[in-house]
Amino acid sequence: MTGRLFPVIQTGAFIVLALVLCSLIFAAVGLSATGTLAAIIDGAFFRPNALNHILRWGLPLLITAVGVVISFRAGYFNIGAQGQFYLGAICAAFAAEWLRGSPAFVAVPACLLAGMAGGALWALWPALLRVKAGADEVITTMMGNFIAAQLLVHVTSGPLKDPSGSGQQASSRPVDAAWRISESSGSSPVIIILAGLVVMLGWWLVNRTSFGILSGLAGRNPVMVTWQGAKVQRIAVSAFVLSGALAGLAGSVELLGPNGRLASGFLPDHGFTAILIALVAGMSIVAAGFIALFFGALTSSGLWLPIMTGLPSAAIDIIHASIALFITAKAGALRALLTWFRR
Amino acid sequence: MNRDHLHQEAGASAPALTAEAVTVRYGDVTALGEVSARFEPGRIHAVLGQNGAGKTTFARVAAGLVQPAEGSIAVFGQALAGGNVAEARGAGVELVHQSFALPPSFTVAEVLQFVGPRPGLFTRQGIERYWQAWLDGLGLGLDAGARIRDLPIEMQQSAEIARAMVSDARLLILDEPTAVLSPEGTERLFTRVRELRGKGVTVMLVLHKIREVLAIADTVTVLRGGRLVAGPLEARDLTAESLAELIIGETAARLDAADRAALVGAGAQQHDEHSRPDTPPALVLRAVSTSPHSGGKGLNDVNLSIRGGEIVGIAGVEGNGQRELVAAIAGLDPLTSGEISLADKRMDKAPLAARRDAGLRVIPFERNVEGLSLSSPLWENWSAAQLVGGALLAPVSPRALRQSAEKAFRAWDVRFSDAGQPAGSLSGGNAQKVILSREMDSGAKLILAAQPTRGLDIGATMAVWKALREARNDGAGILLVSSDLDELFDICDRIVVMVSGQAVAEFTAPWDIQAVGRAMTAAGRQSAQEARS
Repeated sequence: MTGRLFPVIQTGAFIVLALVLCSLIFAAVGLSATGTLAAIIDGAFFRPNALNHILRWGLPLLITAVGVVISFRAGYFNIGAQGQFYLGAICAAFAAEWLRGSPAFVAVPACLLAGMAGGALWALWPALLRVKAGADEVITTMMGNFIAAQLLVHVTSGPLKDPSGSGQQASSRPVDAAWRISESSGSSPVIIILAGLVVMLGWWLVNRTSFGILSGLAGRNPVMVTWQGAKVQRIAVSAFVLSGALAGLAGSVELLGPNGRLASGFLPDHGFTAILIALVAGMSIVAAGFIALFFGALTSSGLWLPIMTGLPSAAIDIIHASIALFITAKAGALRALLTWFRR
Repeated sequence: MNRDHLHQEAGASAPALTAEAVTVRYGDVTALGEVSARFEPGRIHAVLGQNGAGKTTFARVAAGLVQPAEGSIAVFGQALAGGNVAEARGAGVELVHQSFALPPSFTVAEVLQFVGPRPGLFTRQGIERYWQAWLDGLGLGLDAGARIRDLPIEMQQSAEIARAMVSDARLLILDEPTAVLSPEGTERLFTRVRELRGKGVTVMLVLHKIREVLAIADTVTVLRGGRLVAGPLEARDLTAESLAELIIGETAARLDAADRAALVGAGAQQHDEHSRPDTPPALVLRAVSTSPHSGGKGLNDVNLSIRGGEIVGIAGVEGNGQRELVAAIAGLDPLTSGEISLADKRMDKAPLAARRDAGLRVIPFERNVEGLSLSSPLWENWSAAQLVGGALLAPVSPRALRQSAEKAFRAWDVRFSDAGQPAGSLSGGNAQKVILSREMDSGAKLILAAQPTRGLDIGATMAVWKALREARNDGAGILLVSSDLDELFDICDRIVVMVSGQAVAEFTAPWDIQAVGRAMTAAGRQSAQEARS
């Protein structure tokens, strides 16, 4: 039992440590350390409607993060979640444009599937470059992020441009109100069910299928799996495509849900936060679910911070990154202490 | 030169190496426990013991690579703090490792120039002339202009020895120098070592074969399980039998004659007849060629047939196509021409999964890289073989897999506490048994066993040999690749010698050690000459 509990306690301890350290850093730039910490926690968990906000930010992150976990477990450092997320949103927006006028029960699933296909395609080409030509997926997926961001600028100011739009930010025409799967500032049962399905399917895939065990082995030692006769290339491409499809799904959820339209440069940190979640979760799908909700809470608190404390909302990015840093570096001293404590 | 001379004068009376209660621990493992010994200068000292006895650790302590947890080391009377190569080198110690580390693209002269004391500008011809004269003085038979990568293994070793001698080493330590050599190459190495002794160099050889120790050493020191058993003893007072007792210790009584002879390298000649001429071939290679690997040679027109119930050994100096042979049979290297049949089915292009279905099993060369995923749980390592044939989305029950794995581990006497523990937490012998439990099931028709006993202690080695014999008796064909001729002589029904990617000769018992040795080196010298010209 302690074997399972230990990583949970450890992760919790690192999160607390990161929060404390970050508030000390904020204190160093002249803010009240306890005040900021309190404001972050208050903004995350104790505002009216806090749960709705946590789910609004946490669930799309969760969907993307589950995909990232799947590719990381297989040993592929797909850091293109952001680009795959954008491609998902773009493809879903095109689908919405083409299906204009059709009923919601046709259009919504079609848009979600289009999003998954878009994200999957945006993961497929780095996967093929990796297995056929040995191109490092870190480089290709990162370049894919830039291309996807420019593609988003292009479609929102070109093919999908909202002619009535006059703001500084180019955006597409809003999706049909009947197709929206949530309000602008909250979550909804549809998104909760989708996220639940993603976690369940992800968990099943990782823990109860041949793919899960072989990809876990391949992630740690691809040579060994090759000598066992597994088709490592097929495992690699599957893992890439799955993770891209889930990021694309998150993109279409954001489009049909809270965003309601495609805006140039929207949610620029989504994919990277999902990568941090996957790192913190340490290859576990269930853990990724919880961490995603926690990071979602911090993100929603980030919107609150500038009003309450004068901290920019980017401060939340610092906290996210510090948590991931602590977890991945497994800060030696604390780890030793915890190990000692476990005895 | 003058300074060196003084050095020698000062150290003349002191022992070349003195170890006082040296203890080395790696984590919880005590690699060396309170080893004390004195080695006289100007002699050839052998350090002998089984794998895992602590020989290499001892050599590394003397060379300053490892700092002992307790105890002290002195070289020619000069105490070393330990763990500092520069200091040990300053005192006159050089270690030649088991695996070589010279830059492949350098010429011998460039290597020596790089590590040597001559600073300043130079020309290629200049350094080649200078170092050729120096090499000729050492009698190593090296060509200063040859590139390291073009040298055969034996000559690479000579280059390593030359590299060590540049710094005027007075104590030269060679770690398992014969492991990569053919019997003839070993003879030539010993001649060179004797010449070095003639020049006043103290040589310490880490060895594990009794025959070799008795051929070369002036004194013998035996380690077992990290402890000093005896030594340095005068070699002329020792016999193969008495050394065998020292090396193996109390377990000696439990070994049968053949295993014992193979373990101590006394050259087993006994042999039981097991071949079954009537059984169909488990493996047939017809004129198989593959393209060269990075740094290696591809297979060249290899014909080989293995029947069920037969162990065929592949002998040869390492790097002569053994790896390529195993990879080709496993389907991991594409054939450029030729045919492969497994259990009477053509498998020229079949993937490994299909070959496994046909009864192929592989015990790969690199246990910790190709055989196991060290950071993954034991049961996952074991299950991989069951899963690769099926669909990726096939549902699996971790609990059932875990139970079957545990059952297999118990049948193979794997010492483990939990099937969920990472494979890397097992000792080498236990890890190998995990691989055996996975690869040697009842469906095995052809087992590729590549260096299956390398780095294992006696108990584990015996377990592997027993398993191979049993699988043979159950009708499986076995291809055993080993660089240990004694192992091959002990266990094989036939031995095929590989040189430069070709199967050049085939032998059956009774073995003619000299003829096998000649076959291993014959073409090797040819290619060395080609490289030089």
